[in-house]
Amino acid sequence: MKQVSVSSDMSAVRETQGETNATSFVLEAKAIEKSFGATHVLRGANLRIRRGEIHALLGGNGAGKSTLIRIISGSHRHDGGSISIDGREDPDANAIAVVFQELALLPHLSVAENITLPHRKRALARLSEAECFEEAHAALALVDQELAERALDWPVAQLDLHERQFVEIARALSSGARVLLLDEPTANLTFSETERLFGILRRLAQQGISTLLVSHRMGEIRALADVCTVLRDGRSVLDRASLSEISDEAIVEAMGQKSSALPQAAPRSTIATSARTQIVLRGSGVSLSVGSGEVLGLAGAPAGPSGVIETLIGARRSGGWRLTIDGTDVTFASPAQAVRAGVGYVSGDRAEKGILATLPILDNIVAAARVAGRHILASSGEAAAAQTALDTLSIKASSIDALPQTVSGGTQQKLLLARWLAPAPKILVLEEPTRGVDIGTKREIYAMIRDAAAAGCVVVWWSTEFTELIAVCDRVIAFDLGGQVSGILGHDELDEVSLSRATGMAA
Amino acid sequence: MTEVVIDQRAAQRPKPGKRASLAVRLTRTYRSEIAIAIAIVVLLVGISFWSPYVLTWGNLANIAQAAAPLILMSLGVFLVIATSGIDLSVGSTFSLTGMVAGLCFSAGLPWPIACLISLGVGAAVGAINGGLVTIVGLAPFVVTLITYAIGASLSFVITDGHSIAIADANFWKLNGGELIPGVTNFVLFCAIAVIALEFVLRKLVVGRWVFAIGSNDKAARLLGIPVHGVRFGVYVASGLAASFASLLSLSYISNSESTAGANLMLQAIAACVIGGASLFGGTGSAIGAMLGAIMITVIQNGVNLIGINSFWQGTVTGAVILVAVLIDRATKVRS
Repeated sequence: MKQVSVSSDMSAVRETQGETNATSFVLEAKAIEKSFGATHVLRGANLRIRRGEIHALLGGNGAGKSTLIRIISGSHRHDGGSISIDGREDPDANAIAVVFQELALLPHLSVAENITLPHRKRALARLSEAECFEEAHAALALVDQELAERALDWPVAQLDLHERQFVEIARALSSGARVLLLDEPTANLTFSETERLFGILRRLAQQGISTLLVSHRMGEIRALADVCTVLRDGRSVLDRASLSEISDEAIVEAMGQKSSALPQAAPRSTIATSARTQIVLRGSGVSLSVGSGEVLGLAGAPAGPSGVIETLIGARRSGGWRLTIDGTDVTFASPAQAVRAGVGYVSGDRAEKGILATLPILDNIVAAARVAGRHILASSGEAAAAQTALDTLSIKASSIDALPQTVSGGTQQKLLLARWLAPAPKILVLEEPTRGVDIGTKREIYAMIRDAAAAGCVVVWWSTEFTELIAVCDRVIAFDLGGQVSGILGHDELDEVSLSRATGMAA
Repeated sequence: MTEVVIDQRAAQRPKPGKRASLAVRLTRTYRSEIAIAIAIVVLLVGISFWSPYVLTWGNLANIAQAAAPLILMSLGVFLVIATSGIDLSVGSTFSLTGMVAGLCFSAGLPWPIACLISLGVGAAVGAINGGLVTIVGLAPFVVTLITYAIGASLSFVITDGHSIAIADANFWKLNGGELIPGVTNFVLFCAIAVIALEFVLRKLVVGRWVFAIGSNDKAARLLGIPVHGVRFGVYVASGLAASFASLLSLSYISNSESTAGANLMLQAIAACVIGGASLFGGTGSAIGAMLGAIMITVIQNGVNLIGINSFWQGTVTGAVILVAVLIDRATKVRS
C-alpha cells in the first residue's frame, strides 16, 4: 500500500517535470521581511530555486541566512513578502526538508522506523513491520540501493555518518520533499563518501528534486552547485548568480567581508630567542621537527590527526605518537599537565569541547589562564585581562559579563582563541577551528593563527578544508584513511589535488 | 540511466529488504532479557545449596506474591525512564493510595468504589508530574522529588500516622481471587500488564514514540511527534501503576500503613536498570523491567532464607545492580 504511494509520488515528480516548464521555480520566496522585536533581520530577501537545481545559499554570520531557512522550512512566519511552492501560495511543511548531519535521527530506533515513523500520526495505530520495511525500502533504495538491502533493521547508531545522511534524505523523500536543504554536508566525509553523496544529489536533481546547499566551503559549493544566492544584511545581494561566471573574490565581496590578503609567514628571525620552541613528533614511521613560528597542518580523516592531537593535549596516553619539547621527552598524563606545560587547545566543536555555556564570557576567556597559573582565587585582575584579550583580537561582545550565547558562533570561536592569548602557550593545537564559521571570520582566524605563530607558538592545526591549509600552513602532514602518514608536504607542494590524493578525502 | 539499472536490480529481488528469521530477531531483541532470566535461575539454584526450601512450590509462590506489586510499579517507572525521564514519586504514591483506600474502607464504601477512588490518587500525582514536566518545563527529577516529598508527608497527615486494618470481607479477591479459574489474579494482572505493555511498546506507533523521545527528544519534536502528550501520558501511567500495585498489596496484607511504599521507589528504578533500561532513555523493555523486579525479590527472599541479617539486603541488591550494569556496558562496547 504505502510503497505504492511512495513510488507513485516519484513518478508524479517525473511526469510533472515533463509537462511543466523546465524553468519553473519549485520554491519562490520574494521580498521576504522579518523582524524580531526591533531587529530587522530580513529586508526583502529573495530565494528562487528551480526544479532539479542545486542551489548554494551563502552569507556571513548575521546576514539572515538561518532566519530565511527557518521561514522557508515553515518554523517561522514571515512578516512580509510571498512564498510559493510549485507556484502555489499555501505552505507545505514537507516540501522543504532539512537534512541534518546527525541531529535529527533517533539513534536507538531502526533505519526503517526512522524513515517511516514521521508518517505515522495515529498514536494507537498498529505498526506493521512489513509495511514499514516496504515503505522504508522504497524510499532508501532511491538514495542508496546497497544500504536499503543491508541495514533497514539496524539501529541508526550503528551507521556511519554519511549513511545517516542517506537515511535522512530517504526520510525527506518519503515525506514528499521537493527541496533538500543540506548544511556543510561534506565536513567529515571521505573522498569516496562525498562522491557518493554528490552522485545521489545529482541523480535526484535529474529526477526533479532540488538541493539547497548552505555552506561556507567554496570547495563543495563549486563542486556541486549550479547557481548561488548571497545574503547580506537581510537582502539578497546576489540573486541566482551563475557560479560558472563568478569568482570567489566577487562572492566574498558581495558578502560584505574584507577580502583581506591571506596572512604571510613571518620570518623566524623576528621571534625573540627566549620565546623559541622546538618540538619533535615521532610516530607512524615519521619523525618531524617543528619550530616556533611554524604552522603545521594535519590533513585527513579523523583517525590520523586525532592521534597527534590527543598526544599533544594529553587526552589519551596511547595516541601512538611521542613528543619531545625543547629536547626533553614528554608524556602528558592529563590535559591539565599539557596546559601547564604550555599546550593550548581550541576545538571547532564549540558546544562539546570549548564554550562553557552557562558561564559568562569572562570565565570562558580566563579558564585556561586559571589552570595554567594554578590560580586558587578568581582575582580582580582577570576582568582587565579578559577585556584586553577581547580588544587585542577586536572581538565584539556587549560585555564580558554576558553569556557566550549572546554572540555569534564565529565570535564564540574567537573567544576560544582569546582564551590562550594570556597563557601564551608554546604549542597551540587547533582542531577544525573554522567549522561553521563564515568566510570573513575565517580570514580573521587565519590572521590570529599566523599572529600566534609570529609570537613564538608552534601551531598544529587539523582542518578538513584543504583550501585553508594550503593558504596558511608551512607544512602539512597528510594521513590516509587508515590513519597512517601518507606524506609530508611542504608549502610549495600544497594543492588540492595532492592533498586529496594523499588523504582520500574530498577537498 | 542509473535509475533504470536500479529498477532492474530491485525487480530481481522478490522481497525488498532482507530480514532475519523471527527466532533470530527475537533472540537478538531480547538478548539481555534472556541473560537476566538465566541469571535468576542461577541465583535460585545457588541459594538452594544453603536452603533447599527456596525451590519448593510454596516458596516460589511467595516470591511471585511479593514480586507482583513491584513488577507493576516497575512497568510504570520503566515507561518514564524510556522517555529519559525519572519518577521518584511512585513510592509515596503507593503509600498514599493505601491510606486513601484505608479511609474509603473505614467510611464503609464498597470495595470496587474504594479502589476507583484510590486509583485517582495515582492519576492525580501522575497528572501533576506530567503537567509540571511538559507544560511548565521543569526537570523530571525535581518535579518528582517534590511530589515524592509531599506524597510521603500526606500519607501520614491524612490518618495522623495511624495504620488502618481493612475489614471488607471481599476485598481480598482483588489479589487472591481467580477471574480465570486456576490463575490467581495477581499473576493474571502482572501477565496482562507485561504482555500489553510490551505489545504497545513494540507494535503500536505510540510505543515507538516513547522510545523515539528517549532516544533524541529534539529530533522527535522536529519529526512532529507529540512529545508533550506522550510525556504527560507516561507519568500518568506510572502513577496509576503505583496506585494499582498498592491496592494489590493492600488486598493481600489487609492493613494500610503510611510507610508501605518507602523502599519501593528505589527498587522499581533498580528493576528497570537491571532489566536493561538506560537512565538516558531509549532502551529497555517491559519484560526486562519485570525480570529485574523478580530478581530483586529473589535476592530478598534468598537473604531471608539463608538467614543473613536483612540489613544486608540493600548491599546485595546494590552489588547485583553494579554487576548488571557492568555486564550491559561490556556487551555494548563489544557490539
